[in-house]
Amino acid sequence: MTQTPSFRDVEKLSAYLDGQLKPSEIARLESRLKTDPELASILKDLRQTRGLLRRLPQRRAPRNFTLTPKMVGQKPPLPRTYPAFRFATVLATLLLFFTFATNFMAPLARTAAPYPYGRGGGGGGEPETMMEAAPEEPALEMPAMEEPAAPETPEPLSTPAEPSAEDSTGVEPTVEASEKSGVQEAPSGDTFAQQIPDEVPDRSPAPLISAPVQITLASIAILSALVAFALRYVAIRKWRAKAK
Amino acid sequence: MDETALILEAQHGDLDSFNTLVLTYQDIVFNTALRIMGDEESAADATQEAFLSAFRAIKSYRGGSFKAWLLRTVTNACYDELRRQKRRPSVPLEPETDDGEEMETPRWLADPSMSPEEAAEADELEHAIQHCLEALPVEFRAVVVLTDLQGMDYKEVAASVRVPLGTIKSRLARARLRLRECLQGFWELLPATFRLEEEILRT
Repeated sequence: MTQTPSFRDVEKLSAYLDGQLKPSEIARLESRLKTDPELASILKDLRQTRGLLRRLPQRRAPRNFTLTPKMVGQKPPLPRTYPAFRFATVLATLLLFFTFATNFMAPLARTAAPYPYGRGGGGGGEPETMMEAAPEEPALEMPAMEEPAAPETPEPLSTPAEPSAEDSTGVEPTVEASEKSGVQEAPSGDTFAQQIPDEVPDRSPAPLISAPVQITLASIAILSALVAFALRYVAIRKWRAKAK
Repeated sequence: MDETALILEAQHGDLDSFNTLVLTYQDIVFNTALRIMGDEESAADATQEAFLSAFRAIKSYRGGSFKAWLLRTVTNACYDELRRQKRRPSVPLEPETDDGEEMETPRWLADPSMSPEEAAEADELEHAIQHCLEALPVEFRAVVVLTDLQGMDYKEVAASVRVPLGTIKSRLARARLRLRECLQGFWELLPATFRLEEEILRT
């Protein structure tokens, strides 16, 4: 007896081709195949299609798909000193930034006090304490807050030892820079200066952090960055040479 | 060094060992991707992506057929690539009539821009099969590629495409039926020599 093959039969035939049927199923199907030409024809078609697919030529890969260390995010082994130099660079840069910030903040604090400022030069009151104080900002704030409290006692320092607190335009203060700051501050300073022209001639804010400290910090930052870069460069080159 | 040792080394992060495996399997992986994707460029992208994810996930390999494990990775990479392509508009896989309806007849395969001579000059068999494979929905295509082209068993295929065994059986049967229908439409376009070979194959 033959019956119209259903999709279920096709599924069975397909699995039969791949040897995926149970022995009992195989026996049943094979006996049906003998009596059902339509089923046998489907099996032939499926086998032929399967045969065709298997004849599909295998192409060669157009290139090598090997992975590079960069692709998998592998990094060269860096020397142990590398993080130390990198840390030094970051720390020195941060400290340098703090020195600028501190020096910049000091005159701002003074503006609240009713005494003139604005001329370059003078100051340099306590430069020797700066070395120790540099990393601790709160300590630096102290003199800034204290000074306005005693504005009537001008300090007798008249030699323009250090340039005043500049804006953070450069590491090494120049005459130009101090002139520039003088010009910028003129609107507020001038009126006072006219009122009391000679009383406190060289009254100007002492830079809380002196230039040598800043230069030292900048040098440390640049040098450690260069050393770190050199270490990294050498390590990468060695690593690449080894990989090849 | 044997494969198991290479895999073990790769699992410890050794890229050289992994690359040795890449060189061994890249043809198989590329071919699988090529048959699923349909074009070399996308297939190369999927292959590269597959090896990259294989390296990242190699610790999750727990024995068994490494080829099957790799083919699972490349199938996933192909699915991802096809999804990406879907987001960008591309040529539809199913041919459409002028009124936008899907064509049922495989006659569309007779490319009107190609004369029979030109068609004969092309790599007929490969072209025909690839053409018909691309007419299949991607889920069917992946199953038929993994089973018939790469010779994986049903269980491995089921694990690769993450569907039950029964679904694999039915997809495979359906895919073979549709491929058969599609290739019959191509039959007359194939060169006589090929038809002759097929007659031999038939017997």
